[in-house]
Amino acid sequence: MNSQSSTTLRWFPAFMATGALLLLAVLMLGVQLSTENTELVVYFAASERWHLILAGAVLVFLVQLFRNPISAFWQGAKKHNPLSPFQLPSLDDNKPLKRLLISFVVAGLMVWPFFVSRGAVDLATLALIYVMLGLGLNVVVGLAGLLDLGYVGFYAVGAYSYALLSQYFGLDFWSCLLIGGVMAAIFGFILGFPVLRLRGDYLAIVTLGFGEIIRILLNNLTSITGGPNGISQIPKPTLFGLEFSRRAKEDGNVPFHEFFGIDYSSGYKVIFLYILALLLVLLTLYIINRLLRMPIGRAWEALREDDIACRSLGLNPTAIKLSAFTIGAAFAGFAGTFFAARQGFISPESFTFIESAIILAIVVLGGMGSQMGVILAAVIMTVLPEFAREFQEYRMLMFGLMMVLMMMWRPEGLMPMKRPHLKLKDHQSDKKDDASVNRQPIAESV
Amino acid sequence: MLKSFNKKMAVFTAVLAGTAALGSASIASAEDTIKIALAGPVTGPVAQYGDMQFIGAKMAIEQINQAGGVNGKELEGVVFDDACDPKQAVAVANRIVNDDIRFVVGHLCSSSTQPASDIYEDEGVLMITAASTSPDITNRGYELIFRTIGLDSMQGPTAAKYIIDSVKPQKMAVIHDKQQYGEGLAASVRDEVQKAGVKVALYEGVTAGDKDFSALIAKLKKEDVDFVYYGGYHPELGLILRQSAEKGLDVKFMGPEGVGNKDISAIAGEASEGLLVTLPKSFDQDPANARLVEAFKARSEDPSGPFVFPAYSAVQVMADGMKLTASEDPEKVASSLRANNFKTPTGELGFDGKGDLKDFSFVVYQWHSDGSKTALTK
Amino acid sequence: MPESAYYFIQQLLNGLTVGSTYALIAIGYTMVYGIIGMINFAHGEIYMIGSYVAFAVLAGLALMGVDSIALMLAAAFIISIIITSTYGFAVERVAYRPLRNSNRLIALISAIGMSIFLQNYVRIAQGSRDIAMPSLITGGWTFGPADEFNVTLSYMQVVIFIITFITMTLLTLFISKSRMGRACRACAEDLGMTRLLGINTNQVISLTFIIGAALAAVAGVLLGLYYGVINPYIGFLAGLKAFTAAVLGGIGSIPGAVLGGLILGVTEAFTAGYFSSEYKDVVAFSLLVLILLFRPSGILGKPEVEKV
Repeated sequence: MNSQSSTTLRWFPAFMATGALLLLAVLMLGVQLSTENTELVVYFAASERWHLILAGAVLVFLVQLFRNPISAFWQGAKKHNPLSPFQLPSLDDNKPLKRLLISFVVAGLMVWPFFVSRGAVDLATLALIYVMLGLGLNVVVGLAGLLDLGYVGFYAVGAYSYALLSQYFGLDFWSCLLIGGVMAAIFGFILGFPVLRLRGDYLAIVTLGFGEIIRILLNNLTSITGGPNGISQIPKPTLFGLEFSRRAKEDGNVPFHEFFGIDYSSGYKVIFLYILALLLVLLTLYIINRLLRMPIGRAWEALREDDIACRSLGLNPTAIKLSAFTIGAAFAGFAGTFFAARQGFISPESFTFIESAIILAIVVLGGMGSQMGVILAAVIMTVLPEFAREFQEYRMLMFGLMMVLMMMWRPEGLMPMKRPHLKLKDHQSDKKDDASVNRQPIAESV
Repeated sequence: MLKSFNKKMAVFTAVLAGTAALGSASIASAEDTIKIALAGPVTGPVAQYGDMQFIGAKMAIEQINQAGGVNGKELEGVVFDDACDPKQAVAVANRIVNDDIRFVVGHLCSSSTQPASDIYEDEGVLMITAASTSPDITNRGYELIFRTIGLDSMQGPTAAKYIIDSVKPQKMAVIHDKQQYGEGLAASVRDEVQKAGVKVALYEGVTAGDKDFSALIAKLKKEDVDFVYYGGYHPELGLILRQSAEKGLDVKFMGPEGVGNKDISAIAGEASEGLLVTLPKSFDQDPANARLVEAFKARSEDPSGPFVFPAYSAVQVMADGMKLTASEDPEKVASSLRANNFKTPTGELGFDGKGDLKDFSFVVYQWHSDGSKTALTK
Repeated sequence: MPESAYYFIQQLLNGLTVGSTYALIAIGYTMVYGIIGMINFAHGEIYMIGSYVAFAVLAGLALMGVDSIALMLAAAFIISIIITSTYGFAVERVAYRPLRNSNRLIALISAIGMSIFLQNYVRIAQGSRDIAMPSLITGGWTFGPADEFNVTLSYMQVVIFIITFITMTLLTLFISKSRMGRACRACAEDLGMTRLLGINTNQVISLTFIIGAALAAVAGVLLGLYYGVINPYIGFLAGLKAFTAAVLGGIGSIPGAVLGGLILGVTEAFTAGYFSSEYKDVVAFSLLVLILLFRPSGILGKPEVEKV
């Protein structure tokens, strides 16, 4: 952009853009379709709407008109203010501090529920379910670069595995947690196997189709899954056989509070569920971080960056994609099992495409590949609607807009991850640092 | 031995819980209000139905307070939004328990009511739903869960009885929308009419939200049925009626209250003339409720929604139960609800062991293309 | 003819009607994909917006006392095409153009975001309730015995066939004969080369989105009139089905989109007619998966070579 163009006013584009905006808005925002008795009628929308449209038009006109000066100013501001985009601080340099910090945070998260209200703990549990889902989908979308729009299908498989196994065979939560994860992984493997040869955008549609097929089948197989009625009275998890209810549901079982001889408090069950969810999230984080540092994790990211280069290096793209897909599905299975236990009742309507879209929005907002970002995004997405109920109405609108804007401005997310990278250390102090990330020669600095 | 120990412990904990309840009651008396949670969708796609429930319940709370309250205290309604999402319903239930509210009128959607009621039962909260019609809700032997609206399984037999006695079809079809409400009703109608020897030639589901039913209509035409029962809501049945008229399928249709909405006439136009619909009695048409209807109109609220009066009754029976037992212990109120009959705007209500109304009658109406209806049965 | 033959013909006609509208929407997907290689996920929502605009125009004219059906239809088509074209143009400018040279995944997520945004924008502007309108064109023909199963073909179905056919012909002529059409084909072959030859490829891409949106508007008006009911969610499923049709026929190929649409429509009608409506969508999605597995380039598509 040269200096001459930075002062010219763009009359023509300004008029065009304003005209386009009016065309877009007038027949959609400006009028209101409605049914009066049984007749279709249309009338002009409330005057606030029109004020809104006019304000928008003026804004667009001015922005387009002064676009050159504005962008020139913007460029200048950028030059003078070399504020690099916010990145998560890396603690790789200081391992003991990192460990200390992590254990403090975990301890804080463990103790916290005993001091707050039951509602807050329950909300936190819900947020943790989304953290788990976000982390799992992050493996597939963020790390391996496979757009999975049917992720909720595996979530459903996990939830229904537990619900059905406990209903028909009386299996308890703990064995089902494992089975649910394995079942979802098997589904991921079987569905992924033929599909992963496809190119990225076909994959998105096919996974979307699979997600819908799983939901429709759950809805149609009424004799097994209860169809739209869902499955109710799914037992809550027990602590080594101790139930968290006021009265033992099965004869011979002792409720938790009686075993320890303390007063019954409804809070215990909620706190127990929360701590369980927290442990599951920590386990998920641990597994994913281990995997990331293993060759397979490197291969995921390499594949995302350049498919063809990977192939020419002798990596088998299908096998690598399949591993990411399967592992992602397994985490959805865990989350699903836990969800079924928390709800006590599940039906196919909890597993619609919207859920997939919300989980994807979490991954996108958090930054594809960034685990801290995903955790933060999941917490924001679940907690925000509770504080601003009006937000509920506009939630999906915001999600959609945000997905577009994030892709344009910061595809790496609000909190991009600083990847572990090769570093030459000038002193040989930490020799015992066994086979750690920093020694892995595959990863190059990003 | 262990068992008897357990029993003792159970008694002990019950006593503890009782004292805890007394404790909280004494706190409540300091505030001089009894809180009732009104749980249902404030936002989301079915918020308009949530409104019906809220205006009914709020009106009841206000009128009871004007008449002197309950046991010397005022009632206070607290609205909780579950957006008809099962996830959020559980969160709402936990918050209600957390806020020490012991009486709930809600939720609206059966799939929200079901997981929430697990928590209420476990935590000793009395819940009365004014809108959830799924039989599963009261089928689990719970003590604190009630409803002031009829069940899907009651509406089915009413429809089936009318079909068997008055329509007398040679060969009929039962269609549903694969949702909890629609399929439950359809199955109950199918079973009832088959028992009476009516031939059901086709029993099939359609996808809610679908727009093209031409293939299904051709099938109905080929099967040569002369009567169709549809379990589901008005958008799909409206389209089926409209497309049937275009495709020359000339049979009579019948549907549940979910289709009894003016919108069906907007969709199907002339084709909605003569449709049979089972609906709860229109309580707002009942001359005994004229004053109440006036009170709603005075606040420019619409009393004609199907859940307005049941929600009013839910609050009223709760209050009457508290008055009868002179306590705010949900368990005592629950047993009093089972033991007594209550005079409410929706009639004389009594509850059976499961917590359902002993008697809730549905009426068969004939629908007209201008959105009005005439009653065919009493 | 035996009854079963009439039944077969009836289901075939039903399937072809639905299929033609899938085809109209599918062309929008296929043209965009052919030229810039991305799935315009928001296309289904453009179709839905087309329906809403048509309803608003028809209701407005009816309130003003216009009662000539031809005039109402013409106005609905023209205004709806103008407005959806603007939407198509704006969506491309805002959500896709800045991302044209980035990773496919990024463009695709942006497109999904746009689709969610548009759906909820209409939901908030117009409410999520169904909006219904009486049929403008009623009546039809009946073939076969009067007392047994007979085939009906409504005038509206014929209108759908004719308008689909006319639109397809015009589009084919445009693509093969006009200067701009040739530029479109050149862009589909090689975008970079076309730019080097002095063609404004941005203009061509905008035009592609406008044409796609205009066809979606045609489908929106036709289906809005045929079914008479719209809500903000109709775009999602229709878009998904149309995309399936485009892939089935070979994405990037216009005759392929038409063929794919018709095959999908007929398959659905036969599934519902001979098996059960419950499994209509399962069969449609399974068909998509199978085609992608065994013939990823579709029926009429060219196999694609991935370029470095």
